Amino acid sequence: MSRPRRDPRAERQSHDVGATGSRPRYDRSQPLPGRAGVPPIVAPARSGMTTQPQPAKPELRIVDEPAFLVFAVVEAPGGRLSRFDRQVLGAARLLADAGDGGAGVVAIASHSVEGLGEAGADRVLLFTAEAMPGTVAKALRQTVDALSPRHVLFAETGDSADLARRLAIALDEPLLANVEHLTSRQAVRAIRNGRAEIAATPPRLISLGEDRIKPYEAAPCEARALALDTAPHNDDPAILSVEFIPGDPASLALSETDFVVSAGNGVSDFAAFRDLATHLRATPGASRVVCDAGLMPRAAQVGASGTVLSADCYFALGISGAPQHLQGIAGCEHVIAVNTDLHAAMIERAGLAIVQDAQLVMPALLQLLRGGER
Amino acid sequence: MKTTVLLSHARHPVSDRPQLSRLEAQAIALAAEVDEAPSGLHAGRNETGVVAALGHGLTALDRLDLADTTDPLSALAAFLTRQRFDLILAGRRGEGGHETGLLPYRLAAILGLPILADAVAITPGAAVETLVVDQAMAKGARRRVTIRLPAIVTVHPLAPPPRPFAYGPMRRGTIRRHPVDGSANAADLDTAEERPHRLRPKLMRQSAGQAAGANLYVDPTPEEAARLILAYLEANGIRRYGPLNDR
Ligand SMILES: Cc1cc2nc3c(=O)[nH]c(=O)nc-3n(C[C@H](O)[C@H](O)[C@H](O)COP(=O)(O)OP(=O)(O)OC[C@H]3O[C@@H](n4cnc5c(N)ncnc54)[C@H](O)[C@@H]3O)c2cc1C
Repeated sequence: MSRPRRDPRAERQSHDVGATGSRPRYDRSQPLPGRAGVPPIVAPARSGMTTQPQPAKPELRIVDEPAFLVFAVVEAPGGRLSRFDRQVLGAARLLADAGDGGAGVVAIASHSVEGLGEAGADRVLLFTAEAMPGTVAKALRQTVDALSPRHVLFAETGDSADLARRLAIALDEPLLANVEHLTSRQAVRAIRNGRAEIAATPPRLISLGEDRIKPYEAAPCEARALALDTAPHNDDPAILSVEFIPGDPASLALSETDFVVSAGNGVSDFAAFRDLATHLRATPGASRVVCDAGLMPRAAQVGASGTVLSADCYFALGISGAPQHLQGIAGCEHVIAVNTDLHAAMIERAGLAIVQDAQLVMPALLQLLRGGER
Repeated sequence: MKTTVLLSHARHPVSDRPQLSRLEAQAIALAAEVDEAPSGLHAGRNETGVVAALGHGLTALDRLDLADTTDPLSALAAFLTRQRFDLILAGRRGEGGHETGLLPYRLAAILGLPILADAVAITPGAAVETLVVDQAMAKGARRRVTIRLPAIVTVHPLAPPPRPFAYGPMRRGTIRRHPVDGSANAADLDTAEERPHRLRPKLMRQSAGQAAGANLYVDPTPEEAARLILAYLEANGIRRYGPLNDR
């Protein structure tokens, strides 16, 4: 679109060697002087990213005196907002901005989280980490009594779903669970094994189903920290001990993990590949060709006839990117590809594409990871 | 350890026939690990779906004779108070009714029992009257909680698969039918209008399009490529690898 327009006459003129005589003479072996400085394909050549005008940095959206509050409980494992957390914040923003707006969204997390402002939180309230849902529910109940939010939103998964129910019991209020459709006027959820549905005006306590409400994308909000005077502590007499066991990526199922490193037909050194997967703390996967050859177990196959991933990041080594394979990684946000073929579909799909031999990159990565370990 | 599994009146999504919920079948498999003769508890008139639970590992089934439209909470609470189970297992949300998932929590509040959600494994604790519960957390993490019995535990779909169905045990299993006396109160949430369900599409799990094709590097040295990859992983918060040499 914004490619500079060619001028054939001027181009021909610039090839003219200026020989005296009746016939004009041209030297076509010389590059065009106007394009001499342009390097060959190395840097962002495709997609015209560089030529587009950069959008101006949006200014911060500040709500000083919120008309009412909407709570959004985020889980954010490892301090990063998951896509589901963003959807919960998006729903909270939707309810807060309804009508005349001016309401504030309070994100409730159990540990500090990055990017809450961009996801739509005006205020942030932190509870101590590692508290059990029962204790957090008590503290949350006190906060709800103190700040009286109009809505409290939860994700219908894990501790959030647990917390939603404990709060509903503590407040003796109904909970609209697993909502499939939410606007400021009505919330809809399925009942009776998906045979019927009920619609209601959004009540105070709502838990959202996954992939139902769009995350917030407009101007970043402030995410100002709120001081909390009630720090929860585990005091449930029935709970004798709590131990947190972090997930081991090597033994995780492909559908459960967040980071997959995957080998295709372009990988021949599988010992190095497995070593790399453990050092990257990633779950190993493979393309169908590799699984058919018996080099990796069938459970490791990624794609239409293998596992459809829900991981955040996918690292493909020597995979061409057949449509059946790309279907399996359609939901991955970040894709890294290493391939010798510049025109492979996987290179096209990747957010970081490296045209290089996988057998050379793997040892280099391993060396870097081994040298850098503390 | 006297264990019971709460069974809802699930229905098959396509044929609408009564069936055993898969999550409750998984709960039966968990119950069979701590109790050699686990029983089940169902409130409702229709037995055709829940008898399959006997074929999946239960030895007995208690059925409270209650119309399907009434709220089973008080009847269940009265029965459970009488029977004094050590462990009560349930799915995340009972199927076939309002599916709020609140019933185990209401029972816990009435019976004064602790409740734990999302169990994937249970084992008897070292001390008597205790239970070790592994709760599923995000990204494959587990939380191992030791809890004093009696308790209520709900089961996560990542728990081990149900035991295979066997016809003989289903025939041999005992079904105890209990009449329910007193007035049954109506189900909650009946103020909201009920209508046929409409399927709504979920959001596409598509990555942000702007990422694709942004950085292309042709023939960097392997060391350069390795550094680029690790820098990309750290910049996007996928993993932290600590300080790397020569960077
Ligand atoms: C019905 C059906 C279902 C299918 N389902 C699946 C599925 O679920 N999952 C799946 O994966 N496939 C599936 N396939 C197969 C799929 O079509 C492809 O054949 C397969 O994905 C190709 O695997 P590949 O990319 O590893 O191998 P290839 O297509 O052989 O690609 C190898 C790639 O590695 C590159 N390469 C070679 N040497 C090197 C090197 N030294 N360093 C770096 N790169 C190198 C090459 O340039 C090439 O791009 C299915 C096919 C059918 C018909």
